Amino acid sequence: MVQEDYRGARQWSRDRQSIAIVVWISFLSAAIGTMLFFALFDPIDLSGIFDPELEIGREAGYAVGFFFFWVLSAGCSAVTAWLVRTAPKRDEKHR
Amino acid sequence: MSKTEVNPPRAAALYQSAKKIYPREIKGRFDRLSKIATYALLGLFYVVPWLMWDERQAVLFDLPARKFYLIGLTLWPQDFLYLALLLIMAAISLFFFTALGGRLWCGFACPQTVWTEAFIWMEQWTEGTRSQRMKLDKAPWSWNKLRRKGSKQLLWITFSLWTGFTFIGYFQPIRELGVDIMALNVGGWTLFWGLFYGFATYGNAGYMREQVCKYMCPYARFQSAMFDRDTLIISYDESRGEPRGGRKRSVDRKSEGLGDCIDCQLCVQVCPTDIDIRDGLQYECIACAACIDACDSIMDKMEYPRGLVRYTTQNAMEGKETRIFRPRTLVYATLLTVLFAGLMISMFTRTPLILDVIRDRNALYRELASDVIENAYTLKVINQKNEARDFILSVEGAEGILLEGVSNPVSVDGGGVLTVPVRARVHRDNAYGMMNITFTATAADDSSIVVVEDSRFFSPSP
Repeated sequence: MVQEDYRGARQWSRDRQSIAIVVWISFLSAAIGTMLFFALFDPIDLSGIFDPELEIGREAGYAVGFFFFWVLSAGCSAVTAWLVRTAPKRDEKHR
Repeated sequence: MSKTEVNPPRAAALYQSAKKIYPREIKGRFDRLSKIATYALLGLFYVVPWLMWDERQAVLFDLPARKFYLIGLTLWPQDFLYLALLLIMAAISLFFFTALGGRLWCGFACPQTVWTEAFIWMEQWTEGTRSQRMKLDKAPWSWNKLRRKGSKQLLWITFSLWTGFTFIGYFQPIRELGVDIMALNVGGWTLFWGLFYGFATYGNAGYMREQVCKYMCPYARFQSAMFDRDTLIISYDESRGEPRGGRKRSVDRKSEGLGDCIDCQLCVQVCPTDIDIRDGLQYECIACAACIDACDSIMDKMEYPRGLVRYTTQNAMEGKETRIFRPRTLVYATLLTVLFAGLMISMFTRTPLILDVIRDRNALYRELASDVIENAYTLKVINQKNEARDFILSVEGAEGILLEGVSNPVSVDGGGVLTVPVRARVHRDNAYGMMNITFTATAADDSSIVVVEDSRFFSPSP
């Protein structure tokens, strides 16, 4: 039954891990943010605030809102991940 | 399975940075359970949008119309509290079941697991068993390889597209969407989200698989916080299995000084996250129980008792009693019961009417020539029934207070919002500084449907 030996899970590089985590966690946070935000505000009421000429429908409004939250939280996550990863090591001798 | 083989030491694998896992197929009790769970959950996902209720889709999160239909219930953005409550309950249930049964969610119910399972089936149909798949990947490109890989991709992509379509079907009426797609008349955003979800399914279930659990899932990292000594875990019985080693079936293991583990590596080969359960509990383990099935099948062949790898608890492993009722589970259960009861009560007693009162921000008050003080408000009447209804608006809280600018009753469309700018008037003799007043909206046909909102009435200090 057992024909060949096989061991060893594939492993992602650290950069790949970081990117995946940043993208995924900010996606989740954007989903929650979008839900909360649009439960309170109707995109139609908001459209035309910055530019009265600009009329945005609800579907486009939700999408723009979602990507806004996604980019915002991805930026925040990415900077956090980068700072944590590049933080100087604490010197145990001189605390 | 009379033969065993020597395996390369584990450390050698660490140098191979992106090796693919080929989980081996295994039959058994837990495999059956996982198949049932996959069919049930995927079945639900793909069937629910097609169900109808009262001439409309039974479950529809109609985002363009800002209405959620849940079977007999229609929810509005103002009912967001219910959604939040439901989400909190889902989180506590997850904690509760984790405390009891360990990573049951990960192994059997998580969408990542369920869709991966379905994608692996398709892989098996087209590329064959584990060893056939490994051979195929190593082999140079040939007509056979192209045909097998091509049909796998065809199945995967079709399934992903259908998944994306179904996903959109939760947010737009799926029957009309189907017609629109047939007519190649789909809106840009609809198309985008459908493809987005389809692509995410394809990538997550086809390629990333266990990496999502290992690197990206926050729950996988913190689930151990819900674990205690009475939580179900999948564990290898070291005292029974060691010293492990290959042997012929006829050999008496006692006389050879061997444990029950024949070191066949089957438990490793079936593992979707490629860990060795014999190394102890590891956070990569999603508790899919494939290794239990694998080991049981070997124990049966060797005519040893089953359960060398089994569901157990830390207490049971140490010969102590396992408790189901313990503070942790009782607290989770109580919280769940209370929240569920609260949700039910508030859902069944909710009035299908909302009244919002917004004071005019521009002026505190206006003095009219006839010694009357006037305050301006904007009333928003939201009718949460699906049919149009008449409402009577009134104001109370001051001697002789009058409501101007509204002719009762007002009619509000089913699911509609009526915005009424109104003015409240009080004679100067009855107005003292700031007064608390209340606005009331009552359904014309049913006086039990009543909403009272507080507001304030300002007048010049006497």
